[in-house]
Amino acid sequence: MNTVNSVLLASHGTEGAMAAEQMAIKMCNAQDAGLHHLIVVPTLWAGMTGDDWLNNGSTRNTFRRYLESTLEKEVDEHIARVKQLAEENGLAYTNEIVIGEPDECLLKTTEKQQYELVVVGSPRPKGITGLRSRMMTQPVSRSLQTPVLMVPYPHD
Amino acid sequence: MVYTQKSPALFIIGVIMLAIWYTADSGMLAGYLEHLAHGKKYKYGAELTTIPLYFGLVAAVVGLWQWFGTHTKGNLDYYSSTIAGGMFILLIAMLVRWFIAPEIAGISISMGKVGDTGKYIHKLLGLNYIVIGIVTGLIIVNVFKIPGWAENGVRLSRLGLKTGVILLGTLYSAAELKNLGGLSIVMIGFFVLGSVGMVLWIGARRNIPNSMGGVLSAGMGVCGVSATVAAAPVVQAKSVEIAYTIGTILLWGVGCMFVFPVVGQVLDMSYVQFGAWAGTGILNSAQVAGAALAFQPDGIETLKVAEIFNITRVLVLPIIVLWLAVWYVQREGEGTQKVNVAEVVFQKFPVFVLGFILLFALSSTGVFAPAQHYKGKYFDNTKVKPEKMLTAEKKSTLQAEIDKIQRADRKAAVQRLIENGKIMSIEDDTTVRGLINAKVLSKKSNKILKGAHKAVRHTAKKIKAFRDWITWLFAFGLVGLGMQITIKSMKQAGGQPAVIGGIVGLTKAVLSLIVVMMLIETKI
Repeated sequence: MNTVNSVLLASHGTEGAMAAEQMAIKMCNAQDAGLHHLIVVPTLWAGMTGDDWLNNGSTRNTFRRYLESTLEKEVDEHIARVKQLAEENGLAYTNEIVIGEPDECLLKTTEKQQYELVVVGSPRPKGITGLRSRMMTQPVSRSLQTPVLMVPYPHD
Repeated sequence: MVYTQKSPALFIIGVIMLAIWYTADSGMLAGYLEHLAHGKKYKYGAELTTIPLYFGLVAAVVGLWQWFGTHTKGNLDYYSSTIAGGMFILLIAMLVRWFIAPEIAGISISMGKVGDTGKYIHKLLGLNYIVIGIVTGLIIVNVFKIPGWAENGVRLSRLGLKTGVILLGTLYSAAELKNLGGLSIVMIGFFVLGSVGMVLWIGARRNIPNSMGGVLSAGMGVCGVSATVAAAPVVQAKSVEIAYTIGTILLWGVGCMFVFPVVGQVLDMSYVQFGAWAGTGILNSAQVAGAALAFQPDGIETLKVAEIFNITRVLVLPIIVLWLAVWYVQREGEGTQKVNVAEVVFQKFPVFVLGFILLFALSSTGVFAPAQHYKGKYFDNTKVKPEKMLTAEKKSTLQAEIDKIQRADRKAAVQRLIENGKIMSIEDDTTVRGLINAKVLSKKSNKILKGAHKAVRHTAKKIKAFRDWITWLFAFGLVGLGMQITIKSMKQAGGQPAVIGGIVGLTKAVLSLIVVMMLIETKI
């Protein structure tokens, strides 16, 4: 197996991402590689006030602030969890939070900087709670120049 | 930040509007308009030669300034940045109302009537300018994306709908408001509380978290996305719970907007029946207005009924939010925020409803319509032109069908109409309108009754102008709201909320249909 110096862990808060985090840490540990953590906040949240028109501006602002703070909290928890795992294993850890389409953001990040391996979670099985927003789409698998490790969803 | 974008877009929109006006006004479009009229008189001739001229001039002048002018941050910049998006929505509404919808109607007419329904497919499916406008908005946001220069203005569509509701206040009589208000309080009270309770009950049995139960019950019970937006922070819903709930509601709402008018046409529902059913059974308030206008695109009687239900729902919203807040605190105990009753009521109170009430009060004083309009000026025999009186042939048509009428007051009013050749009193006029709207008699007889009504009662000019403005404001608002419904949001529908939402939404739609068909028989 080739040596891996840098691993990109791409996730956007889904359950499957947890398994990918563990695997990325294992891979980095085995190869003594650095871990860059890409967290994508999907643009679908921009449409979450939908076609609401009955509320006044104050209620909508309260909702937006609440949603932003909820997402921020979830992202912070997510980062803290991976950071702690990386620190426990003595790995170099960096992170990046971006807003956009998960697949497009993944491509942009790999174009911006070269990684030897991309680790992502696998799609959520039916019946499992989570967002419908995929990181690994057809365009990504066609365009991505970096090997991808898709970690199976934890079924236990 | 400077919001106004240096873009030629607004200027181009202005030029397109002016081109529409010029080609229509100069007669260049005459042949095409004749084609769109399908053998009748083209309905929107007057609009085509005025509206695009005024708005086109504004768009072209402001567009030039936006394109070449210097913009600095401030209030003027912020408000000016909304004009391009607003004009964009308006242009789409114009194109759909004047050209696309009539074109689709023409295709539908050429295909003939559907089976034994006696209706053309576009009538049956409610494919009018409102529905097509919303669909166009949906296509634009999901396929092409809203251009950056239009983003701020697209949000203006909410203002259009609220202004439409406020102006709607001018069109109700005290009796209508009393009757519809009473009906809506009973229906909304029962179905809102029923569906909120049902979601919480099913949610408890399916072990969903309290936060999800809370946010879902508000959305399913009260007024869809608006209620979800209001309730989510109060019950501390998680992001994925919000996504599930809003996705489910949007999917249901858009589906209902297409299905309800078809069911209404198939069941031959009256305006009050449909307005009450849509106002109760459709989860999302925007789609209530859409369905009402889809059911009756060339009149606003259905919209008047549906909006009373919408207003009742939004007035119930602060109460439901309070209830859920208290319920959530009781369930979750420590770690939850205390509920400030006054703050919740103040923040959630729909201020635009005060505008509606104010306009209704002003209208009741006769500011917008001459007092004699309501006092029955035209019931005087000397004011009705002889050619407006019923002919012997029309009298015999009505006489032949009079036994179809079961209600004594209606039968008596028609009998008096036949005897006198005209409607003799306001009371008879109201009764005859109810009979027309109940569709008890044949189309031919109903046409005669409509003529008799028009002969004695005319819409005041200002009221007619309000009707036209209201139609445009709702068209503008709904096209703009269509541009805010993303497929990405709808795709989030799933999980327990989709299951519970499906059960409760379907139950509410079916039960409210049964109640409406059993208890309501006339129109306003």
